[in-house]
Amino acid sequence: MSYKKLLQEHSPKDLAESFVFPVNLSAKQQKTADLQLAEGRQKAREKMTDSEKLMGRLLGLKFRMEDYFRAEKPDKEYSFSYFLKLYIELLDMKRRGFAEQIGIDETLLSQLINHRRTPPEYIPIRLELHSNNSIPAEYWFRVIEKDREGAMLLNKAAMRKKEMKYVTGGISVRL
Amino acid sequence: MAIMEVATGRKLTAAVSPLEGADFKQITKKRYFFDWKKEKGSADLFKLTLQGESDILGLLALIDFPREFRMQIHLLCVSSETHGKTKKYDGIAGTLIAFGGRTAISKYFEQACISLLPKTELRAHYKSKYGMMDGGPQLFLEGARLHAIIKKYLP
Repeated sequence: MSYKKLLQEHSPKDLAESFVFPVNLSAKQQKTADLQLAEGRQKAREKMTDSEKLMGRLLGLKFRMEDYFRAEKPDKEYSFSYFLKLYIELLDMKRRGFAEQIGIDETLLSQLINHRRTPPEYIPIRLELHSNNSIPAEYWFRVIEKDREGAMLLNKAAMRKKEMKYVTGGISVRL
Repeated sequence: MAIMEVATGRKLTAAVSPLEGADFKQITKKRYFFDWKKEKGSADLFKLTLQGESDILGLLALIDFPREFRMQIHLLCVSSETHGKTKKYDGIAGTLIAFGGRTAISKYFEQACISLLPKTELRAHYKSKYGMMDGGPQLFLEGARLHAIIKKYLP
């Protein structure tokens, strides 16, 4: 059904709540439209407060974490270390200052960022407190669990082979 | 994310996910208004379903403009029985627009923007319903307004 026909049958309000229609512009019109959009965005950005910018950064981090721990298979690009490093970068902080603020040694922070140590249980809680509850501890715990799942899947075949000798019995049905 | 069943006022859990090849079997022009197959390859396509169900209630085509930290809502529609005065569900289009915003923020953080090029008659309604701002012929959302629509439709 064409847009014009829809407009005869429905109010503009109803259509705006159900559609975004394709609009064709000539190359010249598109260029002008893009420039005007850039100007509009520039004006909006000039009014953007620091806390608004920080909210955008934290939301981006939160959504990436959600996508990582909700995915069926762990994405190798992401990990607890990746998200911790990103959090510090998004806050525009130095590692030493950040380590101080969450009450840990800079060496431990460096080990966590460089995949050299599993995070102690208190770390997600301290990160939740540091982020003023913006990134809940559960998010960090779920990321850590996803990392473990990824590591297990990577070594599963070798682990099965190694553990086989210890399992001497089992059930006969298979789901 | 939640949409509302109009008849009962019940909130139902919805899911937005990438459109897959097999989905095109159920996407007819009669029910989804546009030729969605034509959009394959030129836009990222997404579908909205109720959680755990396969029936598609809404479709979204997003075009990424990485140099501008922007995602354009190129095309959006709800299925034929879910629009107009007799619609079965409410909030499908808002959820899809908010999903576009979430995708942009996940990629571009505080610089994220979503935009659309509206039909003239619908312009004022996108602005009042979704808080969109003028950017010449196009409308856009970024910053606090973008965060607000995500909070509203993807709580």
